[in-house]
Amino acid sequence: MLNFLIILFAITLFYFSIAERFRTYAKLIAFQGVILFGISFLELKEVNLVNFIFIATETLLFKAIIVPILLYRIINQNRVYRVHPKAVPGFYILIISMIALIVSILLSNFLNSEFVDSIYLSVALFTLFTGVILIITHRLIFSHMVGFLLMENAVFLFSMAVGNEMPMLINLGILLDIFASVLIIGVLMNRIGSRFSDLEVNNLTRLKH
Amino acid sequence: MVLFYFISALLLIIGILAWRRPGITHALLMAFGAVQVGFTVYAALHVGMTDLHYFTYDSLGILFLGVLTLISLAVIFHGLIYFHHEGLDRYYFYHAALIGLIVSISLAYLANDVTVVWILVEATTLTASVLIYHEKTAHALEATWKYLFLCSAGIAFAYMGILFLSLTTKGYNLDGLSFANVSQVAANANPLYLKIAFLFVFIGYSTKMELFPMHTVAIDANSVAPAPIGALLSTGLANLGFVSIFRVYQSLEGSAIREWMNHIFVLAGVLSVLVAAGYMLKARHHKRMLAYSSLEVMGMVAIAIGIGGKGHYAAILLLVVHALVKSTLFFQFGQLYRILRVLKITESGNYMKINPSGGVVLLLGVIAILAIPPSGLFIGEYLIFTELVNTHQWWILAITMMLLCFVLYAMATRFMHILFSDPSEPTLKTTEPGTVKPWETLLQYTFLLLSFVLCFYQPEWLGELIVGIIK
Repeated sequence: MLNFLIILFAITLFYFSIAERFRTYAKLIAFQGVILFGISFLELKEVNLVNFIFIATETLLFKAIIVPILLYRIINQNRVYRVHPKAVPGFYILIISMIALIVSILLSNFLNSEFVDSIYLSVALFTLFTGVILIITHRLIFSHMVGFLLMENAVFLFSMAVGNEMPMLINLGILLDIFASVLIIGVLMNRIGSRFSDLEVNNLTRLKH
Repeated sequence: MVLFYFISALLLIIGILAWRRPGITHALLMAFGAVQVGFTVYAALHVGMTDLHYFTYDSLGILFLGVLTLISLAVIFHGLIYFHHEGLDRYYFYHAALIGLIVSISLAYLANDVTVVWILVEATTLTASVLIYHEKTAHALEATWKYLFLCSAGIAFAYMGILFLSLTTKGYNLDGLSFANVSQVAANANPLYLKIAFLFVFIGYSTKMELFPMHTVAIDANSVAPAPIGALLSTGLANLGFVSIFRVYQSLEGSAIREWMNHIFVLAGVLSVLVAAGYMLKARHHKRMLAYSSLEVMGMVAIAIGIGGKGHYAAILLLVVHALVKSTLFFQFGQLYRILRVLKITESGNYMKINPSGGVVLLLGVIAILAIPPSGLFIGEYLIFTELVNTHQWWILAITMMLLCFVLYAMATRFMHILFSDPSEPTLKTTEPGTVKPWETLLQYTFLLLSFVLCFYQPEWLGELIVGIIK
């Protein structure tokens, strides 16, 4: 079951590569939140109740509900519905993602440790790479935000892989989520949207020399 | 004491935000200044003591806490002057965030646990963002977005590094990830995991240290934030970046990757100086020029750590003196803006004639920051170069010296232009020399004097603190 969820999580990452509508991104982020809850539920058997409630709140409430709602609000308020026409086409991103997956598997095998499950590590690395690919290949700040959220999910997945005996570290990851998501998504994105006519990255390249 | 310090600061922040009266804010700021000084003195008197399990008053923490306290007082002072002239918009948020930032940095200096440092570094991102966005301009928005985005990515990287570090301690039944625990297991840990952990931590915290490869975020932030905040970011916060990396470095020194870490430091250092030299030649903005100068000094610090030996002593000395000089220059450029109302170097000129007291600060400041004797930075750089000669690292020596020549040329010509030339692109803005009183520069002269004294005389306690850090 655990492996099924991890592989399902990896499949959502391919969907990110070819998706062109931001609402699809928001739905995928929500779906990933639910999967991460399932993974943490199955993985953290020995964790105490308080920590479990904390992690469940983080994944189910925060990642699966609050963050997607915030994303929807940004989409509606700023009227950005699709990726930038000049973004790299989905087909090429899909190929890059395939390469990223192969590299992730090779890397996780290279980093083989008795304390880390290599499937976990492969998917965590693949998530990290997908986040970076989204940031590099897209031109709208919204995509960059989603890329960052994917990076956060990668970190969460990795902390689950190594941290099932260290709830303190998982809690730290949760702090990162709350801090970054609420602040970046909730406050700054809307300010950028209200100051500039669109959410294009070029609006934020005036600071030079 | 840590708990008292934290709760006091929290109450003062709540007080500032709840009352929202200028007079009360002044009083609360003074109270915070007293608490900060008291905490620093307490730390200095209790060397080696551990507080609340996660904080230790060790030499590294105490030295940088002392420097931060000194600079914080000046930042508060210049901040009040800044608001006197710029109006009270966001006055209370500014001071609440300022106290939050100073407290986060102070506690992070003293934290003895990898995870606690990480949490506090994260807190600095949050509070610093409020201060960078203070002027609410399009530039401020851009700088804040980049700062938050890149620092968050940096923090995520550092977190990955911490997770890899935690992997190396598995199986040892340790009570947490204190630096002492990491150090205990480092010798027997898997070198590959240690390398990955160090690299992630290094890249992650380089956002704070203003060091290559994540230096860009700090350059934008320093150039956009109000001058007193730029002073704090490029000194106290940059020093925190160093402390965060250096503590991990020290705890892994007994492992097989020591030499490899040194190479990383030297590489990042040389690349930092290279980038700083390149961009300094193109710098058009006052505070941006200072930010590139910070990149250059941090690059030298990284080289100093990488070469080892006397380099470690030099690195700490550079950081202390740099904090004094760079904060002075930021404060002075804040005053310069009030008088000339321009931010570009080409639009500035004749500053020595318009504001002699400030002009002398800039003249002495450029001598100090370029490590020309009698600057205290000269001793630091001299030690680095002699160590490079002694260890026959000729390539690094030649490249660094050549790059420093570019920095020297670029900064000296720009400062001379501001001080003695007519503006090459004059604006219609009228200068307002009366807005700055000579006594407002008193603290800047004090800092400069301190930085010059450190060239000839380093008190015994300072030497002991530095030796305590590097031994």
